[in-house]
Amino acid sequence: MIGLAIRYLLAKRRQTILMLLGIFFGAASYVTISGFMLGFRGYLVDQLVNNNPHIHIEAREEFLTSTSLNEAFYNDRYTHVFWSPPPSGRKDNAIVEKPQGWYARLRADPRVAAFSPQLSASVIFTNGKATAPTTLIGCDPLQQEKVTTIGGYIVEGKFSDIAAGGNRVVIGKELQRRLGVRLAQNILVSLGKGPPSPFKIVGVFDSGNKMTDNVAYGSLVDVQKVNGSPNHVNKIAVRLFDHTQAAALATAWENFGPEKVESWDQINANVFDVFRIQDAIRFLSIGAIMVVAGFGIYNVLNMMVIQKRRDIAILRSMGYSTREIISLFFTQGFLLGITGVALGLSCGYGICLYLRTIPFKGNPMQSAGYMLVSTAPEIYLQAGFLALATACLASVLPARAAGKLTPIEIIRSGAE
Amino acid sequence: MAIVAKKIGKAIGTPPVRILTDINLKIDDGEFVALTGRSGSGKSTLLYILSSLDSPSEGSVEVAGHDLGKMADPELYKFRNEKMGFVFQFHYLISELTAIENVLLPAVKNRRQIERRAYAESLLEQFGLGDKIHRLPRQLSGGEQQRLAIARALVMQPKYLFADEPTGSLDSANGDIVMNIIRDANKNFGTTVIMVTHDPDFAATANRAINLVDGRIS
Ligand SMILES: Nc1ncnc2c1ncn2[C@@H]1O[C@H](COP(=O)(O)OP(=O)(O)OP(=O)(O)O)[C@@H](O)[C@H]1O
Ligand SMILES: [Mg+2]
Repeated sequence: MIGLAIRYLLAKRRQTILMLLGIFFGAASYVTISGFMLGFRGYLVDQLVNNNPHIHIEAREEFLTSTSLNEAFYNDRYTHVFWSPPPSGRKDNAIVEKPQGWYARLRADPRVAAFSPQLSASVIFTNGKATAPTTLIGCDPLQQEKVTTIGGYIVEGKFSDIAAGGNRVVIGKELQRRLGVRLAQNILVSLGKGPPSPFKIVGVFDSGNKMTDNVAYGSLVDVQKVNGSPNHVNKIAVRLFDHTQAAALATAWENFGPEKVESWDQINANVFDVFRIQDAIRFLSIGAIMVVAGFGIYNVLNMMVIQKRRDIAILRSMGYSTREIISLFFTQGFLLGITGVALGLSCGYGICLYLRTIPFKGNPMQSAGYMLVSTAPEIYLQAGFLALATACLASVLPARAAGKLTPIEIIRSGAE
Repeated sequence: MAIVAKKIGKAIGTPPVRILTDINLKIDDGEFVALTGRSGSGKSTLLYILSSLDSPSEGSVEVAGHDLGKMADPELYKFRNEKMGFVFQFHYLISELTAIENVLLPAVKNRRQIERRAYAESLLEQFGLGDKIHRLPRQLSGGEQQRLAIARALVMQPKYLFADEPTGSLDSANGDIVMNIIRDANKNFGTTVIMVTHDPDFAATANRAINLVDGRIS
């Protein structure tokens, strides 16, 4: 029966090629579009996981509500206190309440690879007439380098040089441009209140991302001094051995203190939302191709069943069963599916390999300089399954219709 | 062993139109039976009922001791494949297959095409198609096509051959050739032949002619 199915397909070459093209395009575009999207996505997630801390423990910025002062003033003596006017505004300093407690816990946790306490302050950098508002992040550079990839982005100087203390900063490329400063030059850092303090530039980093290149790093002690808040910390950045545990750990740690604890994927939830929208678009567009391909096969096979009524009658009179007639037509769809998938997947793979050789300059994320295209086996499995399922589904109905024809019906109507 | 029809009746459609009424007959093995009658008398309908392709509204048909109405499908299909051959007025060849492939099609069902190949070639040789076994049906004349169809019906060496006006679309010379082939099959292999025909000359050469008038044996 397979032999006859192939003969039928070969006899109608143009129709067969058209049906093949549908499946072929479906499979090839799935592989190419998915490879392209997932390749970039994989890179993006890699960047998120590798460049950034896995968990941020951050001081909560607390806002006063009409009841937030009740306890401090009246303790439990009154349950209903009415203020006129009711208290409002925000609490002075957002700081991590008991950093030593956190340190002890993080040090004891075997899942934690490293952690880095930070104090960031909003400051204004001044170089002569040039000024730039920015964020100065105080940290222990050795710890910070373990938690993030900042060390890898240094283009001048050394990140660990800020450890020596004595008002040294490493600044981002963008900030350097805005201030027009060189390495080893001094700049003034002011906090609004108090006199400005001079800092020496000991390094420049360039991550490629304008936002991150607009900040400056100093040693934790220096920043605490400038900020007038010794021993204060407003953020602890944590790196785990296994980044996939981050969300679960962050949720569990929420209960340890008033601080806001968020994992890298919780912080970047909007990125994952975009991924979901991309997926929806991907499946819709490929679904549309598949529907067209499926209808093509369905129509052609339906026509063929009508044209081959006499063949069906003679085969049935020879003792061929309903099943064998069904398989005669189903096999055609299946063969189209297999061939279309084989051609589509190999062509899609070829396109992916070609895309990889296209230089991709000026990208914000510093890739290898080439387009990132995924050739993960899952993509090929999914594409193959989807295209084959389409071909099979489209041939089921015509095949069943062929199986339902009884020889006598065909002979009677054929004689007229 | 024989074909036995008991009280067969057939009505088709709504409201039911009676085509066959109270047909009783017995066809012995090795017989050559001609079904005759005017157009519309029910010859084809009777042939297809006797050959299991159609089922009667009343009555039963027994072939070689099997009640056709009670046979399970696989058994019936095997029986058709091995014991029955069909020749229709129109040849019903498969246009994508060559002459030899068409002839071997019944053998393909049970993967016996290799075993049957030599016999198929000898049949085609006998029928004057020995040099045309690789031609497609459309490259053959009408008479050649019908001979090919008979070769296909005989390739499994069936016990029963059912033919519905096998000469209907042929000129008299080709008709004679086809009739001789069928007669030879009956004589040489003892194939039971049941043939619908309009031609009184062909009917006369049969062992027995069964004449239908308005769906009844007269
Ligand atoms: N599907 C059907 N519905 C209703 N009537 C039918 C149907 N098929 C056949 N008939 C009628 O049954 C009768 C017998 O038909 P059948 O084909 O057996 O005749 P026949 O003797 O073979 O005629 P012919 O010599 O023209 O082939 C005819 O009157 C025909 O009109
Ligand atoms: Mg007839």
